[in-house]
Amino acid sequence: MSVLTPEQVSPTATDGGKRDVWWMTWFFPAWYGVFGVIICLLTRVTPPPRPDVTAAGKVAFFAQHHLTIQIGFTVLLVLLGGAAMTNGLVAYQMKRMSVGSAFAYGYLGGMSVGAIPGFLLVTVCFLTAAFRPDRNPELTSLLYDLGMLSYNGSLGCFSVAYLVLAIAILYDRNEIFPKWFAYISIWQIVTEVIATQMFVFGSGPFAWNGSIAFWLAVVVFSVWLGALIVLLRRAAAAEPVDAPALD
Amino acid sequence: MTQTDPATQLESTTLPGDINMWVMVLGDMVIFAGYFVIFMIYRSMNRQEFLHAQQHLNIAIGVTNTVILLTSSWVVALAVQAVRAGEFEKSTRLVLAGGVGGIAFMVLKGYEWASKIAAGHTNSETFYSFYYVITGVHLLHVLIGLIVLGVLVRELRNPAKRRPWMAETGATYWHMVDLLWVIIFALFYVMR
Repeated sequence: MSVLTPEQVSPTATDGGKRDVWWMTWFFPAWYGVFGVIICLLTRVTPPPRPDVTAAGKVAFFAQHHLTIQIGFTVLLVLLGGAAMTNGLVAYQMKRMSVGSAFAYGYLGGMSVGAIPGFLLVTVCFLTAAFRPDRNPELTSLLYDLGMLSYNGSLGCFSVAYLVLAIAILYDRNEIFPKWFAYISIWQIVTEVIATQMFVFGSGPFAWNGSIAFWLAVVVFSVWLGALIVLLRRAAAAEPVDAPALD
Repeated sequence: MTQTDPATQLESTTLPGDINMWVMVLGDMVIFAGYFVIFMIYRSMNRQEFLHAQQHLNIAIGVTNTVILLTSSWVVALAVQAVRAGEFEKSTRLVLAGGVGGIAFMVLKGYEWASKIAAGHTNSETFYSFYYVITGVHLLHVLIGLIVLGVLVRELRNPAKRRPWMAETGATYWHMVDLLWVIIFALFYVMR
């Protein structure tokens, strides 16, 4: 490294990378941007609604936001495959590591399984509640709880994906991602495991809108995601244009 | 880190260990600071309840665990000095001794958890829900620390490796585990 002067490094850093990988690298933040608009502005699941309200309060939540929930989650049903594409890009960069493909497949599988409770179940629960307003309030209340607990509380599969990502980065000799990103991925595991507490608590710091179980975890996830977006760009730029295609 | 020109690597001015580990350590301390602040907020809102629940913690176990971790941290610091001096046999023994301290800490903590749960102090009490989550996350850090020390022992036993910055990196992490415990001990066991 020390023999290379900056003049020799910069052309590859700016002009490097394959066109198709760059497309996906741009798609990655675009998808998460749309996802953020859907969950924060349209469907109102982030920041989360209160867990400690009565069945009537939960029915009122759906009555108040039914149109945006219907629009947001219907769009998400169509776009959900995009999450798999973003995971595919990370898996592609992991396959360029020196550790072999097994970790990349582990990441892909873990993230895909995690997306079912993490995104899909809340989508189906909230759409069912929003499209059937005349249902028994107790059942609507169940859909509200089930959707929110699934969305925020059952992210265990994601933590396995973060673990294989962290191990792959630490073992990798090709320097695809910096080692510190492995450590940030380990924080993600910790916060996801703490989130399981929200099944026990209806209010307080460990409820699904709690300062520890939710807000601290969101901050860590935002740091993780922001770092990943930057590092994916860097990894794409560092890949030689004429590198042979991966298996 | 390893490829820096030796002439620029002045002992007094370079950061010991690996910069990536410092990202982990400082970031981790920010996250734990978040836990501590939230704990303090809830404590100030339910002061009597927290003080009452705190009475049931066994301070003798807390003190013992603090002494164990401080000693373990000191032993690992000695191991780093031994690596710098080229005494790899001694250093390996010291790292192993540090690891024994970590295991003893986990055993005592496990006993403490078991006895508290048996006495009915579950996470239905706010104080104990904080206690189990924060000491649980810390226990996970101890476990990761034992893996780190294990990697270090493997490194020191291989004459082709034995890189001082690896020893410094492992020790940096282990000292953080120690520091976090001292704060947890102060907040949960001592503060009245």
